[in-house]
Amino acid sequence: MREVYVAGIGITSFSRLEYPLVEIAAYPALMALRDAGIKKVDQVYVANMGSGRINGQTGLASAVVDHLSLTPAAAETIENGPASGASAIKQGYMAIASGMYNTVMVIGAERMREVNPLEATDFVATLTHPLAEYIYGITLPSLAGMFARMYMDKYGVTSRHLAMVAVKNHKNALDNFYAHLHEDITIEGILDSPEASTNNPFVADPLRFYDVCPVSDGGACIILTTAENMKKLNKPMIKLAGIGQATDTHCVHERNDPTDLLAVREAARQSFAMAKIKPENVDVAELHDAFTILEIAESEEVGFFKKGEGHKALEKGLTKIGGKLPINPSGGLKAKGHPVGATGVGQAHEIVLQLRGGAAKRQVKNAKIGFTCNFGGFGNNVVCLTFIKEN
Amino acid sequence: MELNIYAYKCKRCGQLHYPYKTICKKCGDNDHNEFDIVALPKNGKLLTYTILYNPPSDFEVAALCLGIVELEGGMRITGQLDIKNPKTGMKVAGKVEVVRIDGYNKHLGMVFYQE
Repeated sequence: MREVYVAGIGITSFSRLEYPLVEIAAYPALMALRDAGIKKVDQVYVANMGSGRINGQTGLASAVVDHLSLTPAAAETIENGPASGASAIKQGYMAIASGMYNTVMVIGAERMREVNPLEATDFVATLTHPLAEYIYGITLPSLAGMFARMYMDKYGVTSRHLAMVAVKNHKNALDNFYAHLHEDITIEGILDSPEASTNNPFVADPLRFYDVCPVSDGGACIILTTAENMKKLNKPMIKLAGIGQATDTHCVHERNDPTDLLAVREAARQSFAMAKIKPENVDVAELHDAFTILEIAESEEVGFFKKGEGHKALEKGLTKIGGKLPINPSGGLKAKGHPVGATGVGQAHEIVLQLRGGAAKRQVKNAKIGFTCNFGGFGNNVVCLTFIKEN
Repeated sequence: MELNIYAYKCKRCGQLHYPYKTICKKCGDNDHNEFDIVALPKNGKLLTYTILYNPPSDFEVAALCLGIVELEGGMRITGQLDIKNPKTGMKVAGKVEVVRIDGYNKHLGMVFYQE
């Protein structure tokens, strides 16, 4: 198999965007083409979860490839729930590694705020089991709430630990121009002060407002190419070195221990094995913190910390920028935002930026190995990517 | 007639499934529909729960209490709770009732009460 490198990256603000979905896809694509210094690609993948349901538009990739005047390049839309982004990157990898194409553009784009947040949450909830979960009013926040309660009881995680994740990620997002939330929050303001219950009400008890990611619009793009093409482009050699993907039961209640995220564990293991590294070699990671509890749980399942000790690492500040293993320097889904189908590409964008040394104030020093965990469903379809900077 | 929620028991190895699957998760050896239908028990203990303060728009309530219950015999089910102060580990008893109305469709599911 041929090795695959990142030639170019681009991103939009993750927030409420008042322009059509095709343009949300096209704008980061244009940035990535300029970044790479190329004008043509062989294949375009567009990761998106909700265009058919939310935006009333299907066949998104065909619209985007034409909008970019990249025809007759091949084009496909990839839908894999909130893990669509990393799934599309995986398809891009396979297309190049197999020798079928030389240069592949992977775009993630989502416009969720075309509908109100309740409808957006209900749309995401359609990925739960239709008969055994969805009919009851189960949404992703409610699954996260039930997961958090078990996790907190079992491992001694408290609301304060959850708030610490939110505070850390909001701080990181202050230095990210493209982040959805630029809001410097404190534990005092969201947990301890008399106003805390107004500032930070329960959403899905025990999870509160600041434990949950915002509903975002946004797009991101990453262009992949061969080692041979990279020689002509004069860009840093960032290699897509490892990919892992695993699935778990559709219903959360069917898992032997519902506090285990087995798909995260297996996807990370595969990704590290393929890249021939160990979790402790990772310098910077973007984990899928759609809910604060998930950053803690994933940091354990991928192997950064022992099971039940993620919150202790957080307490010690190990996951801050400047700590031993910075997690979510972009602000994560919590503060950077979560345009579902685009999120995985957004995570890869941040890691490539970090490995290139271009993350300005939120730069993780000497980052050479980066890792992303893109979590689909409630942990039933997870894709993990490992990027390595070569000299 | 008493309404039930049904589990699917593999005709080859006896493994129970809820919700149903096409292929048995244990023996992987049965063809489509080689399952016996078995009513799930209705009593159990509450494994975890949440109170959802932004329920989907089909639910015209301010908050919705949802939980996972471990039923007698060990099968688990997700359902709604009609319990004022739920506590993890408490004993609950279920009834099959209308749990969601969307347009003209009434969906039946398990609602749990304090035992």
